[in-house]
Amino acid sequence: MIEVKNVTKKYGSFVAVNDISFTINDGEVVGFLGPNGAGKSTTMNMLTGYIEQTEGNIIVNGYDTIKKPNKAKGQMGYMPEGVPLYNDLTVKEFVTYMAELHKIDRKQKKDRVQAVLKEVGLESMQNKLIKNLSRGQKQRVSLAGTIVFDPKIVILDEPTVGLDPKQITEIRSLIKNLGKKHTVILSSHILSEVSQICDRVIIINKGKIVAIDTPENLESKVSTNNSIYVTVEDTDNKVDSMKIENVSSITLLKANEDGTKQYEIKANEGINLNKLIFSEFAKQNITILEMKKPETTLEDAFMEIIKEGDDK
Amino acid sequence: MRAVIKKELKNYFLSPIGYVFIGLFLIMFSIFFYTDVFSYKSTNFEYIFYSGATILTFITPILTMRTIAEERKNGTEQLILTSPLSITKLIIGKFIAATLILVITEVCTYLYFAILMYFGKPHISTALVTQLGFLLLGMSYISFGIFASSITENQIVAGIITIGFFILNWFLPQFGSSFANISLINLFAKFPRGQIDIADTVTFLTFILMCLSLTIILMQRRKMVK
Repeated sequence: MIEVKNVTKKYGSFVAVNDISFTINDGEVVGFLGPNGAGKSTTMNMLTGYIEQTEGNIIVNGYDTIKKPNKAKGQMGYMPEGVPLYNDLTVKEFVTYMAELHKIDRKQKKDRVQAVLKEVGLESMQNKLIKNLSRGQKQRVSLAGTIVFDPKIVILDEPTVGLDPKQITEIRSLIKNLGKKHTVILSSHILSEVSQICDRVIIINKGKIVAIDTPENLESKVSTNNSIYVTVEDTDNKVDSMKIENVSSITLLKANEDGTKQYEIKANEGINLNKLIFSEFAKQNITILEMKKPETTLEDAFMEIIKEGDDK
Repeated sequence: MRAVIKKELKNYFLSPIGYVFIGLFLIMFSIFFYTDVFSYKSTNFEYIFYSGATILTFITPILTMRTIAEERKNGTEQLILTSPLSITKLIIGKFIAATLILVITEVCTYLYFAILMYFGKPHISTALVTQLGFLLLGMSYISFGIFASSITENQIVAGIITIGFFILNWFLPQFGSSFANISLINLFAKFPRGQIDIADTVTFLTFILMCLSLTIILMQRRKMVK
C-alpha cells in the first residue's frame, strides 16, 4: 500500500506538486493522467525515492521513503520515462545487473532472470547487445529489469511512448498481466490505454490532484447533457427551420456528400429525446438514417476536468 | 556493491576504455623506459615512475570522466538511485573498479622490472614502495576524477576539469612551501626513493576520502534540488 500525505515539491519559488494526498491499495492498477508539466513524473520520482519531496510523507508498505529509503525502494520496481538502459550490455547482463542491484538471492538469480525474460518474450534475444534492439524490444528489456526482483509495486512512467501500434498492444497486455500479481501505477498520455487497463485514475493538473475515480465514473460525470446525434435525409432543409417543444437547440454538425446531414439536438433534462425526435420527424416526412447518443470518453472527462481546473 | 564493481569492470573491458587506458600507459611508459635505460644507462626502475606520474595526469580522465556523467546523461542514474543500493556503495563501487584497472596496469609494469633484472640488480623493495606511492597517487587522481564527473553531465567537461586540476597540482609548489605540501605530485616524490612518509600517505588517504565524500554529498544533495 502506498500512502501519500500532503506532499509538496518546490523548485525555488516554483511549486511543481502542491499538497497532494492519496492512497493506493494492494493489487490496484492506478493510472496517472495529466497534461505535460502537470507534475506526473515529479510525483512518480518522489514515490520511487529518486528525488525528495519538500514537504509531506510518502509511506510505501509501511516504510517512509525519506526515513527508510532503501527498505522503501526495495518494495518498488521502476521503469523510468524514456527507458534508460546500458547499451553496451546484453539483455541478459542488464537484467542480471538489475537483479543484483535489488539483492536477489544468488541461487535464485539465474532462474529468476530466465523466467522474467520468458515472461516478456525476450528469451531468444538474451545474448543480443541492447544497442542493437528496436524501441519496442528495449521497452521490454526495461520492463524485465523492473520486475526481475518480483517487486510488490510496479511503477511505469509513460510505458508506451514512442512505440508502434503493434508494440503498444504487446506492452499493454504485459502490463495487464502484471496487474494480476502486482500493484501497478502507470502514467500515460493515452487516455484509452488508461481506461482499458486501470481500476482507478488520478488526474493531476498544475501540481494538484483534480480528480480520483474509476474511469467509468469519470466518464459518466461529464455525460449529463441530454443530447442526441441524428443523421437525416432532408433535401428540403426542413430541419433547420423546425421548432420543437422542449428542444433547446438543433445544430448542424456536417453535411455529407450524399446529401444527408448530421445534427446534434439538445433538449431539457428528463425528456425522452429518441421518442420525441422520431415522432416529430415522422410528421414532417424526414427520413431518419441514424440516431445515436454521443459517447463520452475518458478524453472528454479529462478535457472537462482540466478545463474546470483552469477556469478556477 | 559487488554488482556495481562487476558491471563497471565489464564496461571497462567490453568498451575500449580499459584497453586504451592500459595500452596508452604502457606505450608511454615504454618510451620513458627506453630513454632512461638506453640513453642514461640506468637500471633504476623507480625513477621511471616520475614520468609515470606525468602520464597518469593526462590519462586518468579516460577512466573517470564517464563514471557518473554518463549515467546522468543517459538517465541510467535513475535505475541505480531507485534501487536499494545506497549512494555511498555506488560511489565506492565505481572507485574500486577504476582502482582495479590501475592495479592491473601496475602489475603489467613488472615486465620492465623483469627486463632490468636481466641486465642488473634493481631493488624489489624500493620498487614495491614506489608502486604503493604510485597507487596512492593514482587513487587520489581517480577519486578527484569521479568527483569531477559528478558535477557535470558532460564527460568532456569532466575530463578537462580533471586534467586542469592535476596540472594546477604541478604548479602549486611555486606558490609557496605550504602549497608544496598539498601538491599530490609532490607527495609522491619520496616514494621512488624508497621512503614511506606517514604524513604523505595520510594526506593521500585524506584527499581520497574527501573527494569521495564530496561526491556522495553532492549526489545526496541533488535529490533535494532536482
